Amino acid sequence: MRKISILTLITSLFVSSFAIANEVNVFNARHYKADGELYSKFTNMTGIKVNLINGKSGALEKRIISEGVDSSADLYITADAGRCGAMDAKGTLQGGLTSKAIKDAVPASFRTSKWVGIAKRARIIYYSPERVTGAELSGMTYEGLADPKWRGRLVIRKSSNIYNKSLVASLIKNNGKAATAKWAEGVVANMARTPTGNDRAQIMAVAAGEADIAVANTYYLALMLSGKKGAEQQEAAKKVKAFFPNQNDRGTHMNVSCAALVKGAPNKANAVKLVEFLLTPQSQEHFTNNTFEFPMIDGVSPSPLVVNNLGLDFKQDMKTKLASYGKNQAAAVEVMTAAGWK
Amino acid sequence: MRINFWYISSFFISVFVLIPILTVFSSFFENTSNYYQVLKDTFLLEYILNSLILLFSVLILTFLIGTGSAYLVSFFEFPFSNFFKWALILSFAVPPYIYAYSLTAFFENYGTAFTILKSLFGEANYNQSIPKFDGLFGAILSISFSLYAYVYVLARASFLYQPQNLIDLGKNLGFTKFKTLYSIILPAARPAIVAGLSLVAMETLAEFGAVDFFSINTLTTGIYNSWIAFDDLAFANQLSFFLLLFIFALFVLENFSRKKAKYHMNSRGGFKQKQKIKLSGSKSLMAFTFCFLVFFLSFLFPLIQMMYWTIKFPENLIDLQITKLLINTLYLVVLSSLFLIIFALISNYGNRVNKDKTLNILSTLSISGYAIPGVILAVAFITFIAWFDESVVKTYGFLSIKKVFIGSILGLVIVYFIRFYSLAFNGIKSGYEKINISVDESSYLLGYSKRKTFMNIHIPFLRNSLLFVFILISLEIIRELPITLILRPFNFETFATTAYISASEDLLEAAAVPSLFLILIATSFIIVTSKYILRDNYE
Repeated sequence: MRKISILTLITSLFVSSFAIANEVNVFNARHYKADGELYSKFTNMTGIKVNLINGKSGALEKRIISEGVDSSADLYITADAGRCGAMDAKGTLQGGLTSKAIKDAVPASFRTSKWVGIAKRARIIYYSPERVTGAELSGMTYEGLADPKWRGRLVIRKSSNIYNKSLVASLIKNNGKAATAKWAEGVVANMARTPTGNDRAQIMAVAAGEADIAVANTYYLALMLSGKKGAEQQEAAKKVKAFFPNQNDRGTHMNVSCAALVKGAPNKANAVKLVEFLLTPQSQEHFTNNTFEFPMIDGVSPSPLVVNNLGLDFKQDMKTKLASYGKNQAAAVEVMTAAGWK
Repeated sequence: MRINFWYISSFFISVFVLIPILTVFSSFFENTSNYYQVLKDTFLLEYILNSLILLFSVLILTFLIGTGSAYLVSFFEFPFSNFFKWALILSFAVPPYIYAYSLTAFFENYGTAFTILKSLFGEANYNQSIPKFDGLFGAILSISFSLYAYVYVLARASFLYQPQNLIDLGKNLGFTKFKTLYSIILPAARPAIVAGLSLVAMETLAEFGAVDFFSINTLTTGIYNSWIAFDDLAFANQLSFFLLLFIFALFVLENFSRKKAKYHMNSRGGFKQKQKIKLSGSKSLMAFTFCFLVFFLSFLFPLIQMMYWTIKFPENLIDLQITKLLINTLYLVVLSSLFLIIFALISNYGNRVNKDKTLNILSTLSISGYAIPGVILAVAFITFIAWFDESVVKTYGFLSIKKVFIGSILGLVIVYFIRFYSLAFNGIKSGYEKINISVDESSYLLGYSKRKTFMNIHIPFLRNSLLFVFILISLEIIRELPITLILRPFNFETFATTAYISASEDLLEAAAVPSLFLILIATSFIIVTSKYILRDNYE
């Protein structure tokens, strides 16, 4: 008898609950505080509990793949279309994000049946107005980053960064691999320093005078300007200006945070409901005001900080399908590595 | 061969721990290459080079800091020397990744250093003149200041053992202090210092958090990336081969020096309590400055930086569910150390009563888990369970066992067990070595059974060792990152995972609160037990 009770005790230590509940399991690689608040709202509204496993995308993906059809994952939410595309390529996703609500809300180039964008960001150029003239920037494109006039003046992150992989993948899609390989060599030659730090560190490098131009995502400047990063960074952010490249051709490179439906999802219907909820105007407003991303849907305005400091009227690249970021990812890594992009 | 309960239990414990380690090896022989060999060769060279630079720089720094400070506090008296004696082990509470966050926070453009300069000297662009500690250099500093304590603790213990006669001998020969240090003290302490350095080396090679934060490609992050990001097992295989080669060399070295250390410690004929030399004037100031600098840089600096951020961004303190994180962390600590200690005890006792060669070799191999980076163990575990589930469990029509092991506390505790088994096993073993075998024999003569000898005689004798082992394991688990990150269940966070995730999302300020709590908990663990870590007499 004593043995049995010890056994029960040990088992209960390990097993929290096996009860089947009204829930949705999210493998989450986006860790903004604001997201957690949205999930609570969703639970309050629908009674569906949102279970989270937070982690870095690579480890989460590996776990989804290893668990295979038995995976407890319903949704995989991550911050780059390249990642959702790569997961799709591995055959770990399933179709089903095809409800009218989703199709009406999200433009076709920003979704597939297996994953959809839930918030937009642009990868743009930041410059120092003191050291970069309007003439130099006029008509600037991503392709122009390889121009020798920027020699020793450019900072950008490492080639292992997913935002860079997706940007380069989009260039391969538009210009071909050979041209992009040459472009990457030009970019490496222009770098003011060996790539280091995150997007915000690139912007601060321009503010601090280490470089004249930087490539980084849109929401970082707004985040710095918001004062959430302290007074110093707020001051630093005022020393740089944003520039949207490729306005005269296909438009600025856009990317999304995406939600992907995992194959074998035990709570598929709830997962679709959660995605639909994330695309409602109130959720989208929550995103724009807290993470400073661009809304995925029409009718919601970006945060005033974004509108006033980055501008709103820019041409987005709506032509390049985001699914190509995943498809050209390996090629992107290859051209960057070959060019010696650290 | 005597087959009994103890034999069988120790046999199975060793084999159990060995399984995933073998999986690591076997899974590296699968072939799924998918990108270019030429690029891979350049990568390989870069990874090996980075790992070597990191390894040797950390070894040199930890040697200088660790033995230097141990030498000062063991042989000399100067202001606060008794305080530094234990304060210098507090760096154990700061894992390399939190040190890395602090370095970045302080030295980055518009970071804390900038704020300080601005408030002192007014508005100006100081960024250009603030040194940047990032990349490889940042990682070297972070790891060294966090790990030097291994060398410090072991070197100090060995210094305390050195018979006064030996040092007197040097004096009689007219040696200067430096010459005594160089030709008597250091050679005599060599086995202990090498043991400390090889621990540092293993931790450095396995280091994930700090190296990943500075995005440096070492063998360990390389394996992680090629395996996790590119699904390229063949390349991961190549990298692991080199990594394991390094580790194997260290392993042999460590075992070798451990044997020598034992021999050395037993020969303490004519032991005389050492008299510390009282320093005065500038020498005393120099000794104080050195120790204070080490203490400041290794412990106070990250602590203050994290406190500063917690105060500067108080909203993060409110958002965090501290009690829940605390309970989760302690839960893992208690559960894992309980299992580790119980099984390591059984296995040690089995080895002791059976004196069997096979068993001995098995248990020596089974402790190699500590040398395998946590990242790799965690992924190997998932791979093994997935394979076992597909090819055994389902073939016989049973329900999938994946959910029982992957993303559960059980799985987490199992992998901790494999990773930290050597800490428990060796810690208890060194305790056992101090119990003379004649104690057992007398106990049997008195008619005690094996079980009774174990329960009533060994365990009380081992109490101090057990406590020490518990602390070591607890500190490791509180700081552990990759295994917890990969295997934890839904809605389950610890201080370490919360800190890491915030930091990896460019929310370093938000990482400050969990980091601060992690440091404080680890510190309180260390303080409570410092007298066991720093026992002055090893009787």
